[in-house]
Amino acid sequence: MRRWAHRTHLAGLLACIATACGTGHRAPPSGGITVTDDAGRTITLARPARRIVSLLPSFTELLFAMGAGDRLVGRTAWCDYPPAALSVSNVGDGMPPNIEAVAARGPDLVVLYRSAQNAPAAAQLERLGIPVVVLDLNQLTDLGHAARILGRLTDRKQSADSLARVMDSAAAQPPAPSTHSLVFIVWDNPPIIIGAGSYLDRLAALAGARNVFHDIGSPSAQVSIETIAARDPDFVAVLSDSATLPSFAARPEWRVVRAVRHGRFLLLPGRLFGRPSPRVARAVRELRNRLNGEGGAP
Amino acid sequence: MKYVALLSVALATVAAGLLLGPASVPAGEFLRSPIVWQLRLPRVVLAYLVGGALGVTGVALQALVRNPLADPFLLGLSGGAGLGAVVAIALHLPGPWALPLAAFAGAVGAMVLVYRLGLIGGTGGAGGELDPRILLLGGVAVGAFAAAITTALVSLAEAAELRNAFLWLWGGFSAASWTTVLVMLVYAPLPLAVIAAAARPLDLLALGEEPAQYLGADVRRLKQLVYLAASLLTAAAVALSGVIGFVGLIVPHVCRMVWGRLHRTLIPTSFLTGGILLAAADTLARTAVAPRELPVGIVTALIGVPLFAFLLRRWTVS
Repeated sequence: MRRWAHRTHLAGLLACIATACGTGHRAPPSGGITVTDDAGRTITLARPARRIVSLLPSFTELLFAMGAGDRLVGRTAWCDYPPAALSVSNVGDGMPPNIEAVAARGPDLVVLYRSAQNAPAAAQLERLGIPVVVLDLNQLTDLGHAARILGRLTDRKQSADSLARVMDSAAAQPPAPSTHSLVFIVWDNPPIIIGAGSYLDRLAALAGARNVFHDIGSPSAQVSIETIAARDPDFVAVLSDSATLPSFAARPEWRVVRAVRHGRFLLLPGRLFGRPSPRVARAVRELRNRLNGEGGAP
Repeated sequence: MKYVALLSVALATVAAGLLLGPASVPAGEFLRSPIVWQLRLPRVVLAYLVGGALGVTGVALQALVRNPLADPFLLGLSGGAGLGAVVAIALHLPGPWALPLAAFAGAVGAMVLVYRLGLIGGTGGAGGELDPRILLLGGVAVGAFAAAITTALVSLAEAAELRNAFLWLWGGFSAASWTTVLVMLVYAPLPLAVIAAAARPLDLLALGEEPAQYLGADVRRLKQLVYLAASLLTAAAVALSGVIGFVGLIVPHVCRMVWGRLHRTLIPTSFLTGGILLAAADTLARTAVAPRELPVGIVTALIGVPLFAFLLRRWTVS
């Protein structure tokens, strides 16, 4: 996963160099815009994108944050922030997208998340003559890079770059000294936890909590309840939009885990914590407050 | 002698399941540790019971349709039970008791469909001949249909959570607790007893349906009872641990190679062997790649296939 991040940086660097050399600064509309995306593809737009379909909630948030939200003509069913995003046409899933639904919006740019599942979609859209930019967005470090590329494609370079600088400084921040430990539980049967190669692991570190499964390199992994009990985290963090405890909290086999027994759950709204977003600073602050607010319990 | 060996292996497997695990339990605290009492012991017991139930189900179904390929999976029972369980999860039916019931409803639904497809030459209550070949074909078709509906439900679900139901469907014992052991202990004995009581008629059935009829077996009733019992066992197993293939297929063959074809011995030995296979597989799943865990169905196949191949080779050579 670390190698992944490196590659992203490298791609970003190459993209910056390529675009800086190719078009110069403040390219006039007639000169066109050329960028290289994270899949190594070159995208050339004759003029800044005006009809964009965003196929990942994080991209939608980034576009709104850089003031290009009014250019969106399509979003996924999962894009629920900011509230204005809800009035944009829903094209269904983002992974893989419904090509016809996307094409029907008549976009002049489609922003696609880079994954093996999405590779055929990129090729199909290209065949239809619709420009596609394919971007990574797994880690905090990916946000700034994605913002810069989207800024170029929408000609919102200035606000995108300042957004990217904020994102980069958030990503580069040294982790706070950890005062608590936690486990992120994605699913209970079988138990799936979040490992080091993830956005949430980094988020926890910034908020001053140690992920007890930081030694697992992949973004998520299946473990046994016994392993969770042995690692003995102070808190169990669950992505949940409701205020009630997850159903496994009451189950006897889970009560072997101390934090479950003592009801030390962190119910994190998926809208804020479920994806890397420009609101990362708020997510860190909120997680830190919850850790400290409930830290006094036995 | 073979029985003593089997029992010792069974005990050793359970002991290994209790002693091994990703968490280290100090020897002094072993008998008091909640990790042993609340996690390892119910998990080993449940894995053993489910493995045993699947083994016996395999024996019963292979005798019933007189085909060595028959298992709960092939006859569509697992598919139906999985569909029932996913519907229960989608409807948020609560508790450890609702899931087996829903899975049972699914298994029975699949069973009835397959049974009606397999019944030829008669309509409704008039009674016809149950054709084992048609029964198998029907099972495959109904199983595929149930799997398609399950996949559609899971992939169309609004809640991302239901997508994780797929993980559960692949099988595993993460949810093992004394409650789930109790569910198994309530559901399993009756169908196990029905199958065990049918040991002699099942032997006769191996001779063919007509000879069995002449020798005094009520073939029609036997088929219905054993088929129903097998469905109930499959339903309980799927509801508690997802769809674990393969155990019901190979365990009967292994036991037949070692103990012969009499169901009086085949049924208990299949129970013990199925339990050993699944309990050992689950212990490996928990420990082999710790702190991570493997889906148990993968381990079952990884240790089961070489064992099966070895026995098959010896059997066909001699």
